[in-house]
Amino acid sequence: MNEWKRQHPIAIFIHFLNSLRQLIVSFVIIFVFGTTADGMNIELVSAIIVIILLFTLLNGFINWWKFEYIVLPDELQVHQGLLFKKQRYIRKERVQSIDINAKLIQRLFGLVEVKIETAGGGNEPEFRIIALRRENAVTIKRELRRSETKSAQADTDKALLHWPPPMQQGKEQNSQQTSDAFQKHSADVDADVPDWARGGESESILSWDDMKEEQIEPEYEWKLTLKRLIIMALTSSGVGIAATFVAAIISQAPQVLPVFMLDWIVGWFIRSSIMVVASLLVTVLVIAWLFTLLTTSLKYGQFTLRKWTNEIHISRGILEKRQLTLKSNRITAVRVVQSPLRQLFNYVSVYVESAGGGTQEEEFSTILVPLCKRHEVNDILAATLPQYAYTPSYQRLPKESLRRYMIKLIVPALIVAGVLTWSFTYGWIAFLLPALAALTGYIQYKSAGIAVETHQLCLRSRVISKTEVMIPRRRMQTIESTQNLLQKLNDLYTLEVSVLSSIMGKQFHLRHISKMQRSAAFAWFSFENPDASHEVEKEE
Amino acid sequence: MRPTPDHPLAAKTLNVWRIGSLIETLFFMLLPLAYWALMFVLPELPEWGLYNLVGAIVLYRVLDFLLIQKLQWQRWRYKVYENEVELMHGVFVVRRVIIPMVRVQHVDTRQGPILRYYGLASVTISTAATTHEIPGLEIENADRLRDQIAQLAREADPDE
Repeated sequence: MNEWKRQHPIAIFIHFLNSLRQLIVSFVIIFVFGTTADGMNIELVSAIIVIILLFTLLNGFINWWKFEYIVLPDELQVHQGLLFKKQRYIRKERVQSIDINAKLIQRLFGLVEVKIETAGGGNEPEFRIIALRRENAVTIKRELRRSETKSAQADTDKALLHWPPPMQQGKEQNSQQTSDAFQKHSADVDADVPDWARGGESESILSWDDMKEEQIEPEYEWKLTLKRLIIMALTSSGVGIAATFVAAIISQAPQVLPVFMLDWIVGWFIRSSIMVVASLLVTVLVIAWLFTLLTTSLKYGQFTLRKWTNEIHISRGILEKRQLTLKSNRITAVRVVQSPLRQLFNYVSVYVESAGGGTQEEEFSTILVPLCKRHEVNDILAATLPQYAYTPSYQRLPKESLRRYMIKLIVPALIVAGVLTWSFTYGWIAFLLPALAALTGYIQYKSAGIAVETHQLCLRSRVISKTEVMIPRRRMQTIESTQNLLQKLNDLYTLEVSVLSSIMGKQFHLRHISKMQRSAAFAWFSFENPDASHEVEKEE
Repeated sequence: MRPTPDHPLAAKTLNVWRIGSLIETLFFMLLPLAYWALMFVLPELPEWGLYNLVGAIVLYRVLDFLLIQKLQWQRWRYKVYENEVELMHGVFVVRRVIIPMVRVQHVDTRQGPILRYYGLASVTISTAATTHEIPGLEIENADRLRDQIAQLAREADPDE
């Protein structure tokens, strides 16, 4: 292990392709302008392009040749660059996450990409090997993990020395409690170091691939079946967007098509019956749906959820495999989302908010279960996040709040309808809008609910999709209530709860709750109340 | 029923806010200025538009200066308990927040030039997800509050 190494030679090719992707626009420009401008012939343009290509290839080679790394017992060293030399030393305890990824191009050659990030920001990963054999990547990870675990352990020990309150020391501590104490230490108390910057967190980065290699069977596994994948695509809101898109393309067709064809099509439209026009609509929808099916399959195909002791691993994607590891004690909230279309068939999706541990766009809200029946949610949660596996008893909002929900939607709808009636002959049809708004307001009111459970606060609300969110008290950062002048008329409040999601805060709202409900939530969350029902909270 | 918080902001905070309101008025005056300049380019713009604009802004700013700032100041309340801080403020939208000590990540005092002139400071309380500000306290009070919150946050029992 302790010798200077290079990446897999395929890296040259990958570098080359990456640069090519950036260059392609300039090539098109050179080609278009180069061939139309005077005094430039096609040979010269081609020669320029060939030279650029050769240069790019050479650059890729130099990048590969002059990139060497070594994993030492306590540090990772990288030397790179021919003219501008760069030497980078990354101490192991500072490593925050190690991502092993295989994009399409790497998969073609059975290689992987390794990204190593340390705390302290910047968009670019600190260290990136774009082509490596899987076994080498796993070795690096294992090597780094070994010392990390040690340092995390040391941290935990240190934390335990002066951290846990006396009463906990008296108790029997299993490893879970120990890590809990550490977790709290990092999340809640150690103000100087943001918790995402701590080394200990990087324990969570084992990918399930390592696990597989170590032959540890998951405790629980859930897979998205093909049938569900299709239903997911079919009921996805993306269908509507795609349909609009297809319609837009078709509507642009006249500008591209030659005139005689256009005449023929228009003539055909005039002659054809409603049935034919309808079938055209259906065609648009089918194309849109096929498109959504394709994108959904690429994104969520082979979706697998696995659970080991306190880690949840999600892998998904067909061409580009994505893997994600969540630590179950870093989860700050669980959301169950149901769009109206899916509600018809009783299907839901489950999302989780996690304080760190994800990658890029996923780290804020991660999909835990892309699609399942409502009644299966509790079973899946019981196996993965047991503290969320229960059915909250929601309390409805007071009847005064129905007015607020309806008026808020009806007023703008009335204005729009008024303007439309005034400006178009058949504009009065727009008066269906206020009716629709009233109905939506009513459904929103019916969907809204609040449940104050022993350890968790549950909020249920709807804009279009129905969302239930479950937030443990110990994950809530603050609780807020606001009251605007209209709400004041009926003494209603909007409740707002903040949790940590990745390194940002995330707020959950519930509008127009009663004063009693507001007080109950505040009293439940308050740390002053001596007779609160939650003396000591523990994570299962 | 939970009692509402009872500590007001320092009285001089209102002066600071009123100075801020005046400065803001200067920015608002850029609007009629822009309109006036535009009248040279587009002569069809009516002159009464300018007067109305100036009138509306003057009315709003006078109202803001005399009434809204004062109400805002009157409505501001905070209270520091042993285990949490509670804030309550707002004229048109009344906002009430509970910030538990265990969730406090750090506390700062801050001071701009106007606050410094009046011997005031603001206290900023940050949790992992949110940031809250008590906008005007006497400097000694602010420092004491900052230390107190920091101390309480350090002592707070995470198992509570």
